[in-house]
Amino acid sequence: MEKTLTIPEYKADWAEGENGKWGMVIDMDLCTGCQACVAACAMENNISFVGEEDAGYGRTMHWIRIERFWEGTYPEIRMTPYQPILCQQCGHAPCEPVCPVFASVHSQAEQINLQVYNRCVGTRYCANNCPYQVRVFNWRDWPRPAPLENQLNPSVTVRRRGIMEKCTFCIQRIRQAEDVAKSEGREIRDGEVVPACAQACPADAIVFGRLDDPESRVSQLANSPRGKKLLEELGTLPQVTYLLGG
Amino acid sequence: MSQEISRRDFLKLGGLGAVATMVLTGCGTAARYVRRTPYTKMPEYTFTGQSTYFATTCRECPAACGLIVRTFQGRAIKVEGNPNHPVNAGKTCARGQATLHGLYNPDRIQGPFKRSARGSEQITPLDWNAAIQVVAQALRETSPQGIAFLLGMAPDHLFDLVSDLARALGAPAPIRFGALGMFEARATLRKATQNVLGQDGLPWFDLGAANVVFSFGANFLETWLSPVAYTRLFSQMRRGERNEKRGYFVQFEPRMSQTASKADEWIPLRPGTEGWVAQALGKLIADARGLQVAAFSGVNVEEVAQNSGIEVAELQRLADLLMKARRALVIPGGAALAHTNGLENAEAILTLNALLDAPITLSPLSPFGDAYHQPASLQEMAALIERMRRGEVQALFIHGANPVFELPAALGFAEALQKVPLVISFATFPDETALQADYVFPDHHGLESWGYQRLATGSAFPTLSSSQPVVVPFYNTQATADVLLAAAAQIGGAVAQALPYTDEVAYIQARLSPLLEQKNGFFGAPEINTFFAYFQQYGGWWKTTEETVKPSWENAFNRRLQVKAAEFAGEGEFHLLPFISPVLGEAGANKPWLQEVPDPTTTVMWNSWIEINPQTAEELGLQDDDVVRVVSDQGSFEVSVYRYPAIRPDVVAIVFGQGHTAYGRYAQGRGVNPGQILKPVTNAAGDLAFAATRVRLEKTGKKRAISRLESILGVYGEH
Repeated sequence: MEKTLTIPEYKADWAEGENGKWGMVIDMDLCTGCQACVAACAMENNISFVGEEDAGYGRTMHWIRIERFWEGTYPEIRMTPYQPILCQQCGHAPCEPVCPVFASVHSQAEQINLQVYNRCVGTRYCANNCPYQVRVFNWRDWPRPAPLENQLNPSVTVRRRGIMEKCTFCIQRIRQAEDVAKSEGREIRDGEVVPACAQACPADAIVFGRLDDPESRVSQLANSPRGKKLLEELGTLPQVTYLLGG
Repeated sequence: MSQEISRRDFLKLGGLGAVATMVLTGCGTAARYVRRTPYTKMPEYTFTGQSTYFATTCRECPAACGLIVRTFQGRAIKVEGNPNHPVNAGKTCARGQATLHGLYNPDRIQGPFKRSARGSEQITPLDWNAAIQVVAQALRETSPQGIAFLLGMAPDHLFDLVSDLARALGAPAPIRFGALGMFEARATLRKATQNVLGQDGLPWFDLGAANVVFSFGANFLETWLSPVAYTRLFSQMRRGERNEKRGYFVQFEPRMSQTASKADEWIPLRPGTEGWVAQALGKLIADARGLQVAAFSGVNVEEVAQNSGIEVAELQRLADLLMKARRALVIPGGAALAHTNGLENAEAILTLNALLDAPITLSPLSPFGDAYHQPASLQEMAALIERMRRGEVQALFIHGANPVFELPAALGFAEALQKVPLVISFATFPDETALQADYVFPDHHGLESWGYQRLATGSAFPTLSSSQPVVVPFYNTQATADVLLAAAAQIGGAVAQALPYTDEVAYIQARLSPLLEQKNGFFGAPEINTFFAYFQQYGGWWKTTEETVKPSWENAFNRRLQVKAAEFAGEGEFHLLPFISPVLGEAGANKPWLQEVPDPTTTVMWNSWIEINPQTAEELGLQDDDVVRVVSDQGSFEVSVYRYPAIRPDVVAIVFGQGHTAYGRYAQGRGVNPGQILKPVTNAAGDLAFAATRVRLEKTGKKRAISRLESILGVYGEH
């Protein structure tokens, strides 16, 4: 275990999975559907808003959305538990092999699906092939009237028209924590990296951490008998586990 | 400390004031004098490539959640929760996250001005000296009884200052108002507590300690009282952290709200029968236990079953659920209180807790030893409007409230405003009320402001939450507190003597100085500068001991209670149930990202919709996106239909928060305001009975598509 938690000197030295597997657990019994994660994600990651009309055409740029379905009819009606859907960071990702320009690639180090914005030519093959529908495309240069640009996060690239984008597990926060840990000559502590969605979640339904550390909170929860992967039967090996039931 | 302290002295104090001040606060007290300068002369706390974090208090609602704002070279980048804060413990809601879209909103008011005519966009810019002149003149030349101050539900330091000012002038005390308070029916909850327990204060419902929770209309996961704090407790209940087992939750209300959608059971009872159902449950429990409870004794369970639409067997099952629970809790709130019998409903629901050893306490007082000053009920607002209409108000000062939009139009605030010769608004955003003001002297945004906020409820620890500027004011705005203090100094005499403060910070420090002597805070300091530095750094001051008040239920057992039938205004076949938008709240409509955050239950973005049962819609021949005219005896509007599967067939529900006629490009001309057609009837506590209006629907033959997230997910085949 000690070895796998070490951060190598050069990033090129990273072997697959060596620097851990980052993963997430979402407890659907706790999620209240409040959308704090959606807003927090947008603020952290410089996500554009598209306006009413384009939103109606399904061009919203949410990297995380909350799904819910209805079962039955009134008065025997139930809402299925709110389910936040974000990029599942598949270990065997359908979006990757279809990209003609290698913009959708796998990070060896963190076991995360990357989107390289300056390689992307906007074929949208990846989005078509994603079974979770979590990739969003910049159909336009979305307006951001001054002085709203003051809020942009300098740690995250601003995307333009014709680029595909998606949840990154807040990679900028992972990188920052890695750098801090390295400069202090220690390992990353459990709970040190918190993506924007988990940080905001008032119900504490989202837990993030390293799946390769059996002691981490996220590992323990992911092994819960309540844990399920989304569309598990497709064999995409998601890094996100949903906890069903109470 | 000395209360008369000049800026120069203050700076000296801050500089000498010890290494402690400089080291322990990122920004330091000197920040209030920082102006935007070229980056070659960056303030000392700004490092290239490094973020600076400031603790402050969220102003998107009055719950006073603590924030840590990440700033980067003088710009506010991201809002995060303050992990140590007793209210939110590091968490935020969507509105808190989007507060930056208020700070950097393209439609903010950029400087003081005079309007050529009310409602006109033609303005003459003024400078701040002229603005202070105008305020001073208005305060000096208006007879004290002709002055009225109308403030919002936050911030508290301004409310305290205006209270002091009003006292010094001999003017009536300031009135507080906000749509959130109106939709929470706060006055009703408080009055019911007073009547049932004989104690004053807002109850604090400790969900985390309960393993069965019944809620009658309280939307505590959305906007109610302190939603982030209540969501944390809900999470504790569901995890069974303080009870071994997962807590069970039942919600009673005619429409499945976001809160009800998290319930294990949603019971759609007939609107206005909540009190009867509580009484019936109480009677069944009291009978089973051989107890005598006066409030429940005369209740006929069969009759309640018939009226409410919940069968007797079902009532019995629910009563058993409460009885078998190790610790049960029943919460009154929201629409259950917003009927003509709302106060009696609240009393009946609250009394039920007397039988259950419910984990209810009364929220603690603030560290100052006083309570959060509650917003006015509708009745009190009606009294103010009557004074305005009779011409008794010659000068109206408005800050932090938007009554033209928020109050039911039938109450006539807008017309009464015409009778007020001078209206001065301190609005940050060009809202409907600011549009009707003669002068607008914009306050800073909350993230550019000093201040403090008491908690109405939200924590068991007495807490004072602090605000500090996280960025230098972006526009030519001025703190309203500073404007009023400068005006008071110009007036001179007794008024200037009563407010001998050089500026806002001096006032806040003077208010805070009694806390220096308190021993049980989580920090202390020997003198005010150090104390104030800590106060900024930690985001407030709170005690380390819980100081909630135990309720006394003895009175509740003997108190008789007659719950009358709810009365409904109008002839329509549907009950109109307005609910405050869980995402936008009362004032979120001008923030573009909040507009694009989907409503949790319907996933609608950017507009209003009316919810109608799909069965009823089919009978009426209505489809999704069909525009209907909603008609009450107060007026009508047109809005698109959303077939909502979890609503009673005799109820239609509409979101409150859209329908602005001003308030910037993202809010204006979008959706409808249900306040336009509400009949301003009140319950016995004087709160608006917002669920008491009946409406009918008329087809228009038009169609207007609503943008929603769910359509792309293929919920409805036709989209």
